Amino acid sequence: MKTIEEIQAAIEAAVPGGEVTIVMNPSPAAQHSLLVGAGKAVAVAKFLRDDAELALDFCSNVTGVDWLDREIAEKVKVTKTVTKTVDGVEQQVEETVEETVKRAVPGYLECVYHLYSVAKKHGPVVIRMRTANRSDMVELPSLTPIWRGAEFQEREVFDLYGIVFTGHPDLRRILMWDEFKDHPMRKDYVLPDDFEYEPTPHDDVLKRAEAHRADVAQEGAAQ
Amino acid sequence: MAIDQELKIEMGKQGVVVTTLQELYNWGRKSSVWPMQFGLACCAIEMIATTMARYDLARFGAEVFRPSPRQADLMIISGTVTKKMAPQVVRLYNQMGEPRYVIAMGACAISGGPFKQGYNVLKGIDRYIPVDVHIPGCPPRPEALLQAFITLQNKIQAQPLTGPNRPRHLDAEAQGEFPVPVQGEHDLEPTSNPGVWTVPVVIR
Amino acid sequence: MSFTYFPLVVLFAAALAFGLVPLSLAWTWARFFSPRKPNAVKNSIYECGLVSKGDAWVRFRSAYYLYAIIFLIFDVEAVFLMPFAVAFTGLSMAACAAMLVFVLLLVEGLAWAWAKGILTWA
Ligand code: SF4
Repeated sequence: MKTIEEIQAAIEAAVPGGEVTIVMNPSPAAQHSLLVGAGKAVAVAKFLRDDAELALDFCSNVTGVDWLDREIAEKVKVTKTVTKTVDGVEQQVEETVEETVKRAVPGYLECVYHLYSVAKKHGPVVIRMRTANRSDMVELPSLTPIWRGAEFQEREVFDLYGIVFTGHPDLRRILMWDEFKDHPMRKDYVLPDDFEYEPTPHDDVLKRAEAHRADVAQEGAAQ
Repeated sequence: MAIDQELKIEMGKQGVVVTTLQELYNWGRKSSVWPMQFGLACCAIEMIATTMARYDLARFGAEVFRPSPRQADLMIISGTVTKKMAPQVVRLYNQMGEPRYVIAMGACAISGGPFKQGYNVLKGIDRYIPVDVHIPGCPPRPEALLQAFITLQNKIQAQPLTGPNRPRHLDAEAQGEFPVPVQGEHDLEPTSNPGVWTVPVVIR
Repeated sequence: MSFTYFPLVVLFAAALAFGLVPLSLAWTWARFFSPRKPNAVKNSIYECGLVSKGDAWVRFRSAYYLYAIIFLIFDVEAVFLMPFAVAFTGLSMAACAAMLVFVLLLVEGLAWAWAKGILTWA
C-alpha cells in the first residue's frame, strides 16, 4: 500500500484544495492519519473509495474524539539582544535562548474514520475531520453517501459527541432516547447524580456519596 | 388456622390428608409460576440455559415462558437495565396480572453491576418495582436461578392469606400501579420510586 | 309423536354443557376470587412495553384479501405437490403431464394476477 505521504500527494493531485494534512502518531504503532478539511471531505472520501489503487471500499469504524481547550507548551529558540558585561565592558550581545511558549488551542470535536480495502486487502487508512469548535459550529459533512455502513456509526457519534453530520439520511439519536439533551461521551459531561447509595465508594463517587450523606444528615437534623 | 404439624403427619401416615386453605392456595400459586419471556443482556443466556433440558426449570412448575405479560406471573430481570429500557420494563411489570413476582438476576439488575458508573445504566431495577428475590453473580449460574426460584416458592408458601402481612394482591387497598418513569432531558424522572425504594443505610 | 331423535337432543345438550360448564365455572371463579387491580397502564394495549402509537383498529386495503386468496391457493397446491413428489419415480408419463397441467393452470392464474397489478402493494 501507498505510504501516508503518497496518499496525501495523490489526494492533493486529484482533489484540488483538499486541505489534507498528515497527523503523525509518535507511538510505536505509528498509525499516521490524514486530517481532511470539512469543505472537500466528501470529494476526498469519494476519491479514496473510487481510486483504482487505493480502493478503500470498506469503512470499518467511525468514532468521535472530544478535545477540550488546552494549552500546549512548546520549547522555542529565541534570539534576543541582551546587555552583558564582557571583559569589563558593557556590550549588546545577540544570544539564542530556549524559551517555553504556551499556546492555547481552542477545543474541537473530531471524527475519525478507519478505512480498509476488501478488494486490495489493505488498510487501515485513517482519516479525521475536525469541527470548528465544541459548542455551536459542530457540523461535519456526512460520509454515509460514500460508505453506507457509516450510517449507524455516525448516528452514534452524533448521539454521544454531538457532531451534526450534514447530508446524513437519518440523523437521530441511536443509543439514548430522543428527549435526551446531553452528549455523554464529551469530556465535560456530568453524570446524573444517582450515587445516593454506594456500598464501596471511591474517588469521584465517594465525594458525591459523601455529599448525599451530608444532605441526609441535614434533613435528619431539620426534622 | 394452624394445624398441629405432628398430628398432620400422623394422620398422613394413616392415609388421611389434611390441609389448610392457606396451604392449598399457596401450593397452587407456587407450583404454577409462569415466567415472562424476555431477556435483557448476557444474564438472559443463563436464564435460557436454566429452562433447557440440563437444568429444566419446568420441574418446579415454571412450565412455560409466556410471551405476553397478561399470562405471566414472574418477571425475571435477566441483565442490564438501561435507562432507555427501564420505562418499558416498568410498564411490562404493570401490565402483568396479580399476583406477580420479580426476580432480579445478576449484578446488573441488582445494582447496575459492572456498568454502574455508566451514563445509561439504571442502578438497580428495585428503584422502580418491588423485587422479591435478588441473585448476585455476573452472570449467576443456572443453579443460582433455580435457588432463587425455590426461594421465591418458599416465600409464596409462607404468605398468610389474611392479616397485615398478606400479599399485595389480597389487599384491596394496596395499589397495583407503579409509576412508569419518564425519559427526561438528562435522566429518568423521577430517579426512583420512593414508595418502593429508599436509600439503604450503609452499615460498616 | 316419535322420540326417535330424543337421544340426539340429550347428546347435544350434554356436548354443549361439556363446553359451557367449565367456562362458566372459570368465569365465576374469576369473578369472585381473582385479585383485580386494574389501572390505566395495565389496561392499555400490549405493545412489548412501549406506548402504542395511534389506534389498534387500522384499515387494510382490500387488495390484502386478494393476496390472502393467492397465498391460500398456492398453499393448497403444496398439499398436492407433496405426494406427487414422493411418488414421482413410480409415476407414469400421463400422471406427470396431468400434474404439470395443474401447476401450469395455477401459474397462469398467478401471471394473470401479476398482469392485473395485484401483486404491487400500495
Ligand atoms: S450481571 Fe454480568 S452477566 Fe449479567 S447482565 Fe450484567 S454483565 Fe451481563
